[in-house]
Amino acid sequence: MSAKPTLVQPGRAAAIGKATAGPKGRHKGGIGGVATQASSADWKQRYAAALAAYLREGKELQLQRAYELGRAALGEGRGVVELVMEHHQILLRDWTLRPPAEPRQALQRGGAFLREAISAFEMTHRGFGDASAALRRMHEFVEKEAKRIAYALHDGAAQLLAVLHLKLEDLARSLPPAGRSRVRETRQLLDEIEGQLRALAHEIRPAALDDLGLTAALQTLVESFTQRTGIPVHCDFRQSQRWPPEIETTLYRIVQEALNNVRKHARARSVTVAVTGQPDAVFCAIQDDGVGCDPARLFQPGGDGLGLIGIRERVQALGGKLEVRSAHGQGTGIFVRINLEGRSWPLKS
Amino acid sequence: MKSLPDPSSKTGVGTAGAQEEIVVSIRSDLDIVAARQRGRTLAESLGFGPSDSTLVATAISEVARNILVYAQCGEVRLAPVENSGKRGLMIIAADQGPGIADLHLALQDGYSTSRSLGLGLPGVRRLMDEFEIQSSVGGGTRVVVKKWQANSR
Repeated sequence: MSAKPTLVQPGRAAAIGKATAGPKGRHKGGIGGVATQASSADWKQRYAAALAAYLREGKELQLQRAYELGRAALGEGRGVVELVMEHHQILLRDWTLRPPAEPRQALQRGGAFLREAISAFEMTHRGFGDASAALRRMHEFVEKEAKRIAYALHDGAAQLLAVLHLKLEDLARSLPPAGRSRVRETRQLLDEIEGQLRALAHEIRPAALDDLGLTAALQTLVESFTQRTGIPVHCDFRQSQRWPPEIETTLYRIVQEALNNVRKHARARSVTVAVTGQPDAVFCAIQDDGVGCDPARLFQPGGDGLGLIGIRERVQALGGKLEVRSAHGQGTGIFVRINLEGRSWPLKS
Repeated sequence: MKSLPDPSSKTGVGTAGAQEEIVVSIRSDLDIVAARQRGRTLAESLGFGPSDSTLVATAISEVARNILVYAQCGEVRLAPVENSGKRGLMIIAADQGPGIADLHLALQDGYSTSRSLGLGLPGVRRLMDEFEIQSSVGGGTRVVVKKWQANSR
């Protein structure tokens, strides 16, 4: 199956590492509400006024304002970098017009005011680690549930159907020929149901992922993709080593979702799937030669890319990066890097 | 959750008793400013650096804001604390408001808009070293947080 050379070069890896500013875009509106232009101008004015008052008077009242303004900025989806920039611009403007009589005091007060303004961000910042851990636990839980359901379908319901087959066969023997052919029809339907159940169980959670590992599970996934769509897939799986289960599951889900997108939207002639391991990281790339799209669209809630948002969250919860590169007429590429550093999992080859 | 200090005594002052417990009643935004001012001064006198003093003021803002929003009035108490050589600052926020029915829920991120950003009580918990809360429906709420001075740890 391996045809093309390795897709994910170290250079590419570095590019993925830097990709934070890529497809995410600006955090518009925030959670607390939409920062309109009017409210933005108003916020800047109030910030400037409170800062000027603090430089003059040095009172706690103004520090409280600084804190509340920072808190409001956070709620409106303003970034901490933006706030710091704004702070410095105000000072620069102010001090260019009227150089402070006591520069040392002015600098100290400016710093104290800024410290208060960004203090609310400190709470959010500290909460991020907790949120990430919670997300990771949730994904583990979902995957455990998927495993349970897949098992119940495959080993529970499908086995019962097999027993039912035998019973019907028994029954058919005791029937006149006309009755037998009707039982045969029934059994054909049963076959179909059984096939569907097994396929569903596999889709929810392929047993191969646990038993044989990522590469084997991906081979099966890719083969069934080609069977269903007629689109050939070039695979480049250099390693047969095992990675921590949460990484293998996540990579499997990424390829699954990416191939899903290819099938639905790409109108591709071929796809390349590569998984490469290095001592410190695992890389995965899925590239097609289809019609392409605006990568930002893939991450809009409610758009076609809902699955991709979920995938990116999973990657981020593992401390990895996901980047999508696409343009109209130039295919789509999904690149993932997940770091192995700091993991206690013993890497077996 | 550890047991709370006995509310009947001016607890926590302990061996650092040179400084009395500070009580600021909270009825308006201006009272929050006063509580922050007292908290900041106390933190600095205990040897807290500028960043930790800011975090103390932030924690006071958040607990006092909760009092105004949910109970309309209450009080913030500030006191130095000491524990086997560690010096720190304790903030107690108490009110006789409606209380919190589900404490577990109230401490979760995302329970309200501000908490989806990690502000409010969950934020205070992350800024401070120790966090305790007592609340009952109709019985008010009492939050006790401590921050230990980094150098004395």
